[in-house]
Amino acid sequence: MTEPGTAALPEGGRVDFTELRAARQERVYAAMAEAELDVLVLGRPSSIAYVTGARALWTAGSRPFSPSCIVMREDRRIHLLATWDEGVPDEIPHEQLFGLSWNPSIAAGNVKAIRGLDRAGRIGADGTSVGFNRLLADAAPDAELVDARDLLHRARSAVLGDELLAIETACALAEAGLEDMCSALGQGRTTRQLLGVLAERLGQMGEPVVPDEAIGFATARGHRSVVDDHPFDAGELVALRPSARYAGYVGAIARTVAVGGELTDAQRSLGRRCREALDAVIGACVPGVSGDHLRSVWRDAGGGPLPAPLVTGLGLGVQRPIIDDAVGGAEALGDGMVVAVHAWLPDDQLGGWLEGDVVAVTADGPLTLTRWSDPA
Amino acid sequence: MSVTFAGGAFRGATETPSIEGNTIPDTPDLARMRHERGARLRDAMSTQGVDALLVLGTSGVHYATGAAMPSVDSAKATLQRPVALVTVDDPEPHLFTPYPDGAEGRIADDHIHPPLHIDLDECAGDVVAQLTDLAGTDTNLAVDELTHPLRRALGDRKLGNGTTVLGAARMAKTVDELACMRRAQRINEAAMADVQPLVRPGIRQTDLTGALLRSVFERGGSAVGIDAIWQVMPDSIESGPWTAHGDVAYPTPTTDRILRDGDVLWVDSGVLYEGYPSDFGRTWIVGRGPDDRQQRQFERWFAVMQATLDAVHPGATGGDLCRAAIAADPESKSAGRNPWLPHFYLVHGLGVDSAEMPLLGTDLGSEFDDSVVLTPGTVLVLEPVIWDDGHGGYRSEDVFVVTDDGWTALSDHAYTPFEIPGGAS
Repeated sequence: MTEPGTAALPEGGRVDFTELRAARQERVYAAMAEAELDVLVLGRPSSIAYVTGARALWTAGSRPFSPSCIVMREDRRIHLLATWDEGVPDEIPHEQLFGLSWNPSIAAGNVKAIRGLDRAGRIGADGTSVGFNRLLADAAPDAELVDARDLLHRARSAVLGDELLAIETACALAEAGLEDMCSALGQGRTTRQLLGVLAERLGQMGEPVVPDEAIGFATARGHRSVVDDHPFDAGELVALRPSARYAGYVGAIARTVAVGGELTDAQRSLGRRCREALDAVIGACVPGVSGDHLRSVWRDAGGGPLPAPLVTGLGLGVQRPIIDDAVGGAEALGDGMVVAVHAWLPDDQLGGWLEGDVVAVTADGPLTLTRWSDPA
Repeated sequence: MSVTFAGGAFRGATETPSIEGNTIPDTPDLARMRHERGARLRDAMSTQGVDALLVLGTSGVHYATGAAMPSVDSAKATLQRPVALVTVDDPEPHLFTPYPDGAEGRIADDHIHPPLHIDLDECAGDVVAQLTDLAGTDTNLAVDELTHPLRRALGDRKLGNGTTVLGAARMAKTVDELACMRRAQRINEAAMADVQPLVRPGIRQTDLTGALLRSVFERGGSAVGIDAIWQVMPDSIESGPWTAHGDVAYPTPTTDRILRDGDVLWVDSGVLYEGYPSDFGRTWIVGRGPDDRQQRQFERWFAVMQATLDAVHPGATGGDLCRAAIAADPESKSAGRNPWLPHFYLVHGLGVDSAEMPLLGTDLGSEFDDSVVLTPGTVLVLEPVIWDDGHGGYRSEDVFVVTDDGWTALSDHAYTPFEIPGGAS
């Protein structure tokens, strides 16, 4: 593995994106073959990024499903909604790009014009909509429509070596953000200001996007997600959980620090208990372990109710498994998955402590990708 | 060069702007806004025969509930999404959310529920149970989006079109919604005033984004929903990226590109205040002022803006605006183009989505444009583009709202380094 960094190196070190795209596409074609899919229709930005490697304009929030990338297995052809080739890898030729349209009948016509679609027997899609179902009935009248989310999840969940490096680089960027957020932390500062500090630092490191604006909270107010203008008090515990992207891959870290730097003995002891509980869960992140088991490890280590997921899959954005008190019990971790693990211990007097790391699940045991120690 | 909300840089603004008799407050009344939006939504449900509306889209959930939530990447926003359920006989919406702190004090405690995980198969049963419990079984249900698990869980149940319900409610804005957008615009513009002096040779696009976002959050912005654009424009279409329509490529995502003297930047950004976006667009030049030809492009753009605004009043159609814009720039016409980007529009609306109806000048065609009738409270973002092939082009955008007797501006930002024709407004 090469050291994390974002600049290209003359000898071609670091992530080889051309090879990475080819390897990801290989996995998707193999998964399509296994599921006997002739066509795969994608609308989710992270699925599209996985298959194409295209660098798209980032927007926050969910978006309705619409057919934006169509993968034809027989002759390995990828068609992509892209009005220009800027950000589109060379292996997708111009004749396979179709432009943005506001007119449903023109947009449908662009999809219908894709060679071979009308002869498809089985079509998988990572989403659905009333309009899309109608379009397919017209464009591929004999096709059976299949939910392709599981297939994509299986193809994507074990990361490739270069993906691991990209996630580790994103973690390093998140750590840089954490460092600056800590420096800026002081009495009277707010989570809204710390979000600005993180965004500025990421921008200076070449990444224009904060992938998750739930960047921390004063723990005395309970576990929170929305930034606000509530001023920090001297000495109180503040949870910081910056995340960052590199080439679309997400890294994250969570640590809790005291405003002003010095921890009291009681705070230090809470932090130690939280770290131990987190380490217990991280230690259990081995191939084959179930969500149920990870929850029981968490409880046995002193953990309580979970206001946010204990375990979250990472790759090109957040992905399955999501393991919290309500969901993910039947999910199993697999060799090569990367997950974020978060421990939250509330405390009546001190507020609480949040600690989180990103971990690669490997046959040799869990490999923690994040690093950061509080100088206090 | 500073302009006022009463008139912007352009002639003809309403002197005392009102929307259905109400003035736009300086500070939005968020409780009143939630109440009025809820009433509009339930009116639209009644009109369309919908008893219960399930809302999955991020912006729709914001509209239906008014709950605050962090901006997150689309993958997380899909897997861990807040979901709203509105029933026609309950003034209070239900919210199923991973971010309960954002709903505190905005939604009754007994209407805030744990997340539904509507994209996970294992939770499909929970969704049906909640729908049955809160909305009954033989109600007319509409949804704005479908997921595979939801489709399977609902079986053959007939579903209404939730997007149409939301669209009908959202078209005209309340004065508090307008006040939110004006607040977002002020934050965005003040932050851009911090950034523009940094635009010197050697700065990188991502440095500008970092500086912008730092300032936005220092100034009270709630969230940022879109990558800010600082695209370096080519002189000609041919020297730019290949495009499917043979026209200008815009916008392309921001990178660590190092900006150089004379680069012409088309700047575009939007930030959120209480879920409502701003829309900032300007053309800047790195390290210098415009040459005569560039200044002339700006003056043509300015004339198109003025002519379009002259056509804005309640009752005017979208087609009227497009025709006014085309007539105002004979040079575009003789070059065989409209004075806007062909893959976008002359005008788009602005609300909880950063580009929403009315979209005018799109490939929906002139018949559609003629069918859009402006009413008070409709927000219009005008973004004409002058393309002068071989010499680049000029693009800026400003935000207006249709008032009871004309229009007023919600944006208020200088065009530096370009000079407004005829001097300061």
